[in-house]
Amino acid sequence: MAKSKAGLLQGTLDMLILKALFLGPLHGYGIGQRIAQISGDELKIEEGSLYPGLYRLERRGWIESEWDVSDNNQRAKFYKLTRAGRKQLIIEEQNWERLAGATMKALRAN
Amino acid sequence: MSRAKATVRFLHAWQHPDEIADEVEAELRFHVQMRTHANIEDGMTPDEAQLAAKQSFGDFDRIKISCCEIRRGLPFDMKPLKMGLYIAIACLAGGFALVAVNLPHHNLFGVLWQLAAIAVLMCAFLVGRRKQ
Repeated sequence: MAKSKAGLLQGTLDMLILKALFLGPLHGYGIGQRIAQISGDELKIEEGSLYPGLYRLERRGWIESEWDVSDNNQRAKFYKLTRAGRKQLIIEEQNWERLAGATMKALRAN
Repeated sequence: MSRAKATVRFLHAWQHPDEIADEVEAELRFHVQMRTHANIEDGMTPDEAQLAAKQSFGDFDRIKISCCEIRRGLPFDMKPLKMGLYIAIACLAGGFALVAVNLPHHNLFGVLWQLAAIAVLMCAFLVGRRKQ
């Protein structure tokens, strides 16, 4: 049976960005690639939608950015997780686990 | 990012909107370029690769505007500021009321003070009520 790629639920993109950056600093394109990689290519993100999310997270102080040179010698903006971002990721993961558990419980109810 | 640093960034964004727009555009273009290269490596022709990269990116201009707006947004939560404003209005209204009560009421000045106090109290009440 062919598996369809899942669209992102509202609010999960922020958590995925934080998770991608937990593994190390990345530019926007790299973040998209890493999300695809860690989700086993199951999550489909409209690539451009990543950027408003990145700017929102930066404004909240959960990530910070600086311009640097990428692997192919081009200037790129790299993002990294702040201490507040790490704390937020833990909170988001706990909330997500609770929500997913509750949903599964509801779906399995007779 | 500290609050001071966030405030400096916010002020910088307001002082130099063109610089911010250029920065956002450079970042988004970098993404499209990277995707184009990846598509070429996957066997597409350069034209096909660029077209596919633009399509998978989405509406470039809309995303750019959205990023610029977020970048120029306030770097802190407005709720405490609003709460402080309501408290200030309430204190002001209380002060007006105290002064008005202690003024003699037989002259025009005293009556005007009382009316002003009532007006401020009503404003405070309406503002507070609207936000609940």
